[in-house]
Amino acid sequence: MIRPIRLMAAVLALGLVAAACGGDDAGVNVTDGWARTSAGMQNAGAAYMQIEGGDTADRLVAASVPSDVAGMAQIHESSMNDEGVMSMSEVEGGVEIPAGATVAFEPGGFHVMMMNLAAPLEAGQEFTVTLTFENAGEVEVPVEVREG
Amino acid sequence: MRPVRALLAAFTLLSVAACGGEAEREVGLAGIVRTPAPVVADVTLPEVTNGMHDEFAFRAEPGGLLVTYFGYTTCPDVCPTTMADLRNAVRQLDEDDADAIDVAFATVDPDRDTDAATTAYIHAFFPDGHALRTEDPNELARAADAFGAVYSVEENDEGYIEVEHSAFLYAIDDEGKILLSWPFGIEPDLIANDLRILMEEEST
Repeated sequence: MIRPIRLMAAVLALGLVAAACGGDDAGVNVTDGWARTSAGMQNAGAAYMQIEGGDTADRLVAASVPSDVAGMAQIHESSMNDEGVMSMSEVEGGVEIPAGATVAFEPGGFHVMMMNLAAPLEAGQEFTVTLTFENAGEVEVPVEVREG
Repeated sequence: MRPVRALLAAFTLLSVAACGGEAEREVGLAGIVRTPAPVVADVTLPEVTNGMHDEFAFRAEPGGLLVTYFGYTTCPDVCPTTMADLRNAVRQLDEDDADAIDVAFATVDPDRDTDAATTAYIHAFFPDGHALRTEDPNELARAADAFGAVYSVEENDEGYIEVEHSAFLYAIDDEGKILLSWPFGIEPDLIANDLRILMEEEST
């Protein structure tokens, strides 16, 4: 017979392993991945998505895309000042994903900036953005290209 | 509420306030009405569309509207969103109104945006659009200043070029008057509604 304390330890250990591996219980849930078609020779693009926090807070620390999509990806944020001037810069230290809240990556705000596009982004094309979270680890996000 | 939305609300309030006694006529406009309306009729920039080298004057064809934007083609987020929103707005108009609307895109980053890249960019959204580009920084500054637009192109510590720019669409009439400015983030439906109202006024 298994003593309750052993059982608890086993459950705890399993839970820890599952969390560390970023398995089914990744905590965050990412949906609605999309990117706009690139215009003309535009060599930079942006990918958008909705990131739902899990039971505990997490932090998005990195993003990457396959090399046949773009040379480099970074987490950027566009922001507008009270004069209507837009600026954009890399997010230092990542983006906090609070427990139970949804953080929108959308036009004019947070986005995955893709630099040196390998080829134009065409409507209907699909690719994968890999997001790296502090706790959840790597999460692969399917992204659909549309005219938007 | 996202910051952009909050700002939009503030802009809307400003535009309402700016209308003053004419508030009744302006009811329904989502864009910003500036009083007095800036006039950009005497401002020109070189048009480089498809290898052209003509001076482009900021005024619409008679009875039409010219919508102008200052941006850059390597802009991944704000510029393509704005141009796509404008395209989606124009698509909602009836054919006569849509045909009477001309669009010009002026690059604030002429070092990276070639004539061909600027042309390809605007044509991806508007096949008859005008690509404007000058390598003379003073000429670009004078043109932007007439609109009240500002911009900066600077290399950051990591060697990447960071661009800041006024992200407004400007609607100009056939006298070169800026009738309306739309800040980033206004829904295409609202831009379409504004365009209809402006076209109605232009034709009377």
